[in-house]
Amino acid sequence: MKRLLNKPLRSFAIYSLIILLVSIPMYVLVIDYIWLTELDENNWLTLEHTIEKLESNTYSSEEIELMNRLWSELQPGLSIVPIESKAPFPDSVYQVIRPNAYDIDDEEDRFRGLKRHVLINDTPYALTIETNVEETDETFVAVALITLFFFVVLIIGFVMLNRKIAIQAWRPFYETLTRLKSFELSKDQSLVLPASNIFEFHELNQSLERLIQNNVETYKIQKSFTENASHELQTPIALLKAKLDLLLQQQELTPAVSELIASIEAPLSRLSRINKNLLVLAKVGSHQYDHVEVVNVKEILQDSLVLFDDYVSNKKLKLSVKTQSTRVSANIYLLETLLHNLISNAIRYTELGGQIHIDVIEGVLQISNSGVSALNEDQMFDRFSSLTNQKVSSGLGLAIIKEIVTKYDWNVDYSFDAGMHHFSVKFD
Amino acid sequence: MKILIIEDEVELAKDMELFLSREAYHCELVANYDQAMEKVYAYEYDCILLDLMLPGGDGLSILQELKKLNKNEGVIIISAKNSIEDKVSGLKLGADDYLAKPFHQAELAARVESLIRRKQFDSHNTITQNEVMIDLQAKTVTVRGEGVVLTRKEYELLLFFVGNKNRVLSKGALAEHLSGDLADMFDTHDFVYAHVKNLKKKLKEAGYQDYIKTIYGSGYKWEI
Repeated sequence: MKRLLNKPLRSFAIYSLIILLVSIPMYVLVIDYIWLTELDENNWLTLEHTIEKLESNTYSSEEIELMNRLWSELQPGLSIVPIESKAPFPDSVYQVIRPNAYDIDDEEDRFRGLKRHVLINDTPYALTIETNVEETDETFVAVALITLFFFVVLIIGFVMLNRKIAIQAWRPFYETLTRLKSFELSKDQSLVLPASNIFEFHELNQSLERLIQNNVETYKIQKSFTENASHELQTPIALLKAKLDLLLQQQELTPAVSELIASIEAPLSRLSRINKNLLVLAKVGSHQYDHVEVVNVKEILQDSLVLFDDYVSNKKLKLSVKTQSTRVSANIYLLETLLHNLISNAIRYTELGGQIHIDVIEGVLQISNSGVSALNEDQMFDRFSSLTNQKVSSGLGLAIIKEIVTKYDWNVDYSFDAGMHHFSVKFD
Repeated sequence: MKILIIEDEVELAKDMELFLSREAYHCELVANYDQAMEKVYAYEYDCILLDLMLPGGDGLSILQELKKLNKNEGVIIISAKNSIEDKVSGLKLGADDYLAKPFHQAELAARVESLIRRKQFDSHNTITQNEVMIDLQAKTVTVRGEGVVLTRKEYELLLFFVGNKNRVLSKGALAEHLSGDLADMFDTHDFVYAHVKNLKKKLKEAGYQDYIKTIYGSGYKWEI
């Protein structure tokens, strides 16, 4: 995944590279043009000056020859040689590339020349001036190097600016992102997003806040509905239970009727359990269980296990327990509920004579029980997802575990290996 | 024995009355806060069964009122709210016991009986059922003067039976009595068999007259 800010950076870099690359030949052409026009002008000026002086003094042909000899020794760019044709030819500007005696590195140099027809004492001469000029390829290399240097400077600038912009302008965005990540609907927290003076972020935050506010409302309504519904259900369940108890006391009950009454008890107690668990589930996130204290998981576990004695020995289960002192901050009732649900699940789903191992080591509680095959993890912690076709569970035990674990930012995991189911809760 | 049942669910109150009245208990029923206060001011009871959610007022303030009046009645809170906060604050305000709805009537009867017994006999407190004698203080059981060694659970079962004599007790009620809230996490309460069997065996060896009867299909009964 690319980061948002790196995307324009790449495009900017590529764009500036293209522009700079295109600019190199342009610069070279322009520089070359300026070079040549300046040199041509310079050549022309020198020539004008020389001719003016030559014409004002009447030099003999010997003197001119001497002059040319001296020039070729002292000032090799200038020469005056007699020519045949008396008819004047127009000025000619030319360019030659030839070796330069003084330039050792470079084999050849470029020269810009100007040749003019002059008449001195009626003798025609060709006056030539040549000036060394930088070759185009050398200009190209120089311009390319400079351009490359500035390209690097530009990219460094982009990266630094980008970072600065990221830190400053995008800060509210990233802050919003962080807060959204840590937001959980079930935790009954309100989402406050940072204020921003950037229009888009402001809009984004406002929309998010509205969206989440609606969700929170819906969630609360659903929760209080669950709570109210299970409260309302408690009374009829209590009534049913009382009636059954009374019915059982009737004289002259036939064994068949007695058995019928007894068989009503099981589904009734299942109904009552589902109802109770729904209530717990609805209340876990509420403020009812906000009283938190530091408790030792080891102690609570040991107290809980005593309560399950009968159920363990009734199924002839082999129970092994290894515990270290592990202190956690939690509501005692919720911690007990968590443990009771995990232990009762393990007992319920282990076959007769099976094994249960309970470890509390280094902040991790692991409850393992023997089983045949792995459970489907996907919807394991969802409400009413039945993992087995046993109709014993309320379908809410694992959902309650998940809810409690989420409340305290703990972690619950399931795995299966070597014929054992493992449920582990990582505290902290 | 006079019992005041403060419960807005009239049907449930009547069932409780019906179940309890088989003992020598006389029950009075009130269904709202004001009626409850009138009764509490005017009469003395041996035991008050108090629902916390009442029309017209909070059950907890009835407790406070009782305390102010220096009344020494035993109070058992019967609450549908099933919240630990209510339980804690109720017990702090002087309630003697707490029972969450839904409950088995036998459980209620046993608690009422135990509460009344506690209030009546302060030091010397025994239950005698013919040749069986239970010393509640020392938690010991003798049959014809001879000690019977029971486990804690067998002892609790025996008390439960005796507190519900001549009533049929379902396995569910027995299991709930022994393991409380945990009982409804399981559907099978077979372990009850084992405890009852052991209890019967021990009492029989000591020579009691086989009061614990198995009622086919439903449970057990202490018949005397």
